[in-house]
Amino acid sequence: MREMTFTDAAREGLAEEMAQNPGIFVMGEGVGTRGGNFNTTVGLYDLYGPKRLRDTPICERGFTGLCTGAAMVGAHPVVDFMFIDFELDAIGELFNQTSRIQYMSSGRLQMPILVRGSIGIFGSAGPHHSGNYYPLFMHVPGFRVVVPTTPADAKGLIKTALRSTDPVIFLEHKGLLFSKGPVPEGELLVPFGKASITREGTDVTVVAVALMVQKTLEAAKQLEQEGVSCEVIDPRTLAPLDVDTIRDSVHKTGRLLIVDEDWGPCGIGAEIAARIVDEAFDDLDAPISRLNGAFAPTPYSPSLTAGMVPNAQTIAQAIRDLLAE
Amino acid sequence: MKSLSKEALLALYRTMQIIRRTEEHLIRASASGDVLGACHTYIGEEAVAAGVCAHLTQDDVVFSTHRGHGHALAKGVEPKALIAELYGRDTGCSRGRGGSMHLFAPEVGLMGTSGIVAGSIAQATGAAYAFSLLGADHVSVAFFGDGASSNGVFHEAINLAAIWDLPVVYVCENNLYATEVPFSSVSRVPDIASRAGSYGIPGVAVDGNDVLAVHETAGEAVRRARSGEGPTLLECKTYRTRPHSEGMRDGGYRTTEEIEAWKARCPIATFERLLIAQRYATEQELAAIGDLINDAVAEAAAFAKNSPWPDPSTATDHVYSRA
Amino acid sequence: MAFEVVMPRLGWTMETGTLVEWLRRDGDSVEPGDVLFTVESDKAVQEIEALERGILHVPPDSPPPGTEVEVGTVLAYLLRPGEPLPRQAQDAASRPPKVAVVPEASAEAPKPGTAAAPAMPSRPTTAISPRARRVARELGVAWESLTGSGRTGRIVERDVRRAAEAARVAETSTRPLVEPVAKEPTMPAPWAITQPRSKPSHGTVPVTLTATADATELVRIHEQLIESLASRAQAVPTYNDLLIKLCGLALLEHQRVNAVWRSGEIIAASDVHIAIEVETESGVVAPVIRDVPSKSILSLADEVRELTQKVHGAQLKPDELQGGTFTIANLGEYGIDAFTPTINWPQSAALGLGRVVEKAGVRDGVILPRYHTVLSLTFDHRVVDGGPAARFLDSVCEYVEKPSLWLVR
Repeated sequence: MREMTFTDAAREGLAEEMAQNPGIFVMGEGVGTRGGNFNTTVGLYDLYGPKRLRDTPICERGFTGLCTGAAMVGAHPVVDFMFIDFELDAIGELFNQTSRIQYMSSGRLQMPILVRGSIGIFGSAGPHHSGNYYPLFMHVPGFRVVVPTTPADAKGLIKTALRSTDPVIFLEHKGLLFSKGPVPEGELLVPFGKASITREGTDVTVVAVALMVQKTLEAAKQLEQEGVSCEVIDPRTLAPLDVDTIRDSVHKTGRLLIVDEDWGPCGIGAEIAARIVDEAFDDLDAPISRLNGAFAPTPYSPSLTAGMVPNAQTIAQAIRDLLAE
Repeated sequence: MKSLSKEALLALYRTMQIIRRTEEHLIRASASGDVLGACHTYIGEEAVAAGVCAHLTQDDVVFSTHRGHGHALAKGVEPKALIAELYGRDTGCSRGRGGSMHLFAPEVGLMGTSGIVAGSIAQATGAAYAFSLLGADHVSVAFFGDGASSNGVFHEAINLAAIWDLPVVYVCENNLYATEVPFSSVSRVPDIASRAGSYGIPGVAVDGNDVLAVHETAGEAVRRARSGEGPTLLECKTYRTRPHSEGMRDGGYRTTEEIEAWKARCPIATFERLLIAQRYATEQELAAIGDLINDAVAEAAAFAKNSPWPDPSTATDHVYSRA
Repeated sequence: MAFEVVMPRLGWTMETGTLVEWLRRDGDSVEPGDVLFTVESDKAVQEIEALERGILHVPPDSPPPGTEVEVGTVLAYLLRPGEPLPRQAQDAASRPPKVAVVPEASAEAPKPGTAAAPAMPSRPTTAISPRARRVARELGVAWESLTGSGRTGRIVERDVRRAAEAARVAETSTRPLVEPVAKEPTMPAPWAITQPRSKPSHGTVPVTLTATADATELVRIHEQLIESLASRAQAVPTYNDLLIKLCGLALLEHQRVNAVWRSGEIIAASDVHIAIEVETESGVVAPVIRDVPSKSILSLADEVRELTQKVHGAQLKPDELQGGTFTIANLGEYGIDAFTPTINWPQSAALGLGRVVEKAGVRDGVILPRYHTVLSLTFDHRVVDGGPAARFLDSVCEYVEKPSLWLVR
């Protein structure tokens, strides 16, 4: 099977869907001839030209509102924000309008729109270019929130997103963009709401998000030497969230750890913990544990950021601590 | 005026009267409690909606404001669907989910009124973008007020339409006040139309209480858009003679003299006099039209009053396209 | 999150134990499964393994080896590197080590809503994880008396599963009995049969019957055995061994005498497990030979020898001391003819053996030299009547006098 980078796989998915649906266009800063800050659209401008690969001025509310309006009359915009941090400038438009046009129109209008941005702490990007923020979108009814972690999933999920008539927040961790993985030939669609069990195990369930999946797998390998068998789950989509797979795993293991680079309060870990306590109380042998990034804006220097983000060692220790509970 | 047929002129008149009579009913219904939430009436501004929407087909789309009853009716929403919506009933154009500020009727091209100021400006720009992309010769219209012209999205969206020659018409209804804040206090420049020059597009200011003037300038703007020549900023200077929202005070920020002066410039009364003077219609004819509309509005009100409430079990339907 | 290393409960009757020897030192890094120390309880010695990993810390006030302490007493801690001791260990000076104290009532339940882990109580709390509670329900384990290995002392799944496994092992070593004969209201805590005799039996009504048996044929059998086994490396069965066997046969026929108390009920046991009393310097120990009737004399002899060696070497395991349905005591080597053996709870009878001695006997009016031995049977009159007891004793005598009867059993 061929190996591709995460970015190339996502772009292949976008290209395939653009070829099928003339209503798909990409709007954002630098998506035209430049090919996107993160190479999200390399080569597509030459195929489709400026109307479908549209460079914008720096006006996030403006082009988000524009894309919302376009989606209301039959186009399928891809709003390429580069960084999720910039999406925050359009939050009013996204929450008040984009998320609820379908609801307000009682389903007579749909909202086929893909909102795309990179997330995560990486490369000393500093306080304005390191955010995750996905709980904000998970919290508001109307959004789908998608966080692929492998190249195959990046392709499969972006294609599903581009066939969805819901607004999709599509988030790509900067640390994963150059990671390589197998991507099958042919049609590849990954459904929303289906987690992936990336490693089977019996002693503890670990749910990890975005880049933390890789780190957790490293920790699991280490722990195998110590006789610990970890089951690692990658949710792939945070809304809808596949709680069934997590619950079945906890039924087997009795212990649950959620590893998330994002801040703890009201995060994905809090949501999963509440759901599992509600739905699998009698399966829990220990309190549910969360390992999050440090609760502070992300600074610049690596000597600071290194200790602020979970790594394989801290994840392994968190698992050991949980087993001792 | 000479270029318009009698039918066309009477159509304009009819539209304005439908708006006026429906709004008058809603004022009473608001006071009596049949209208549940906010009610921002369009009384005094009817010429703008009527003059602009006369040039639009059903496939053209309109994005409106919190003061959108006039746009809705002018675009083709029936009075009964509007009244039922404000009554919160299942037969309202938004199935009871929107109320006054969230009217949706995509079947006739009404793509939403908005509780967020300036929401219409970027969305209308986007619809225009999609028409351009998909090769449709439809036009998109954004209605907004003087208050919205202060918001960043006014600048962002109009600039985008300008640089990409989008088929959109921006209609600013400058009624001199954003709630209670006079426009003169938020802008050193008394005109909004002149801002168009910053984006390189035409900007036209017009008497918003003169339906024929509005009709003419809007016609040109729509023609430009439809032919691919790009957007136009149309500033209609007008006035609302009711409070910002029914039940709110009307004194304190403007004088009764001012209100009375503008009432004397009522667009409907002015047009009536003109039609009669130019012999396009008699007083009786116009009165008959008025009576028919009164009956229609009364019937619509009765329909709304007797309509069922939305089923509570549907409260979370349509959050997503697919469950 | 220090893990407490405590004096474990090794048998269901165990209340105290003696720390014999530490096999790992203070400061050692320990993995689960490493043997930490040995414990002597009721004359059996066991190796105790670590349940967690960590650095072993034996506090200065830990009971010194040789001390008898209550089950549950904290002996040491397993710490993570750099981890401080729990507060109570730091307050060591104010707490003397517990030594054979009367057991407390069960520990208080933890208060709901306590946030951080409180100072660890010296007794386990009765908190239990939801999963452990569910598993306890599924496996029929009474979790309330378990010691929890969870961080706050809570009982977790592994504790319940271990208890279920231990119960299963205990079950198979004391097989379920049938035929309740009589009922008795709840009795005080049972005594291990190895307790020193000074402890009174629980209100039993002991009656002793004696009968003299002509042991001449038995002596002949014994001499034949000595002769035929001389060439083999086989232990020669003693009179004691022979008596164990034929006593076992007789008990099969007189099950009412083979009666034991279990859960407040008296049960006539169908299996015969005979405890044989062995005298040691520090008291009497009575290892149990299981299923006596099914064993050959030779294997019985081997087993008796092996058990006796274990007794003297203090190597018996707790389950080798449990489950007896009848006891045999032998004072013949001390020149005793007859005595009143005492009953060992929860049994209902015991047979005392005296010496085999050559005496004048009468046969058909003629005085002949014959071998005699007196058999003394003490039975609990609450459980067994005189008649059945006498009939049993008569059977034993018959087997002594006519060994050929063994062939048809």
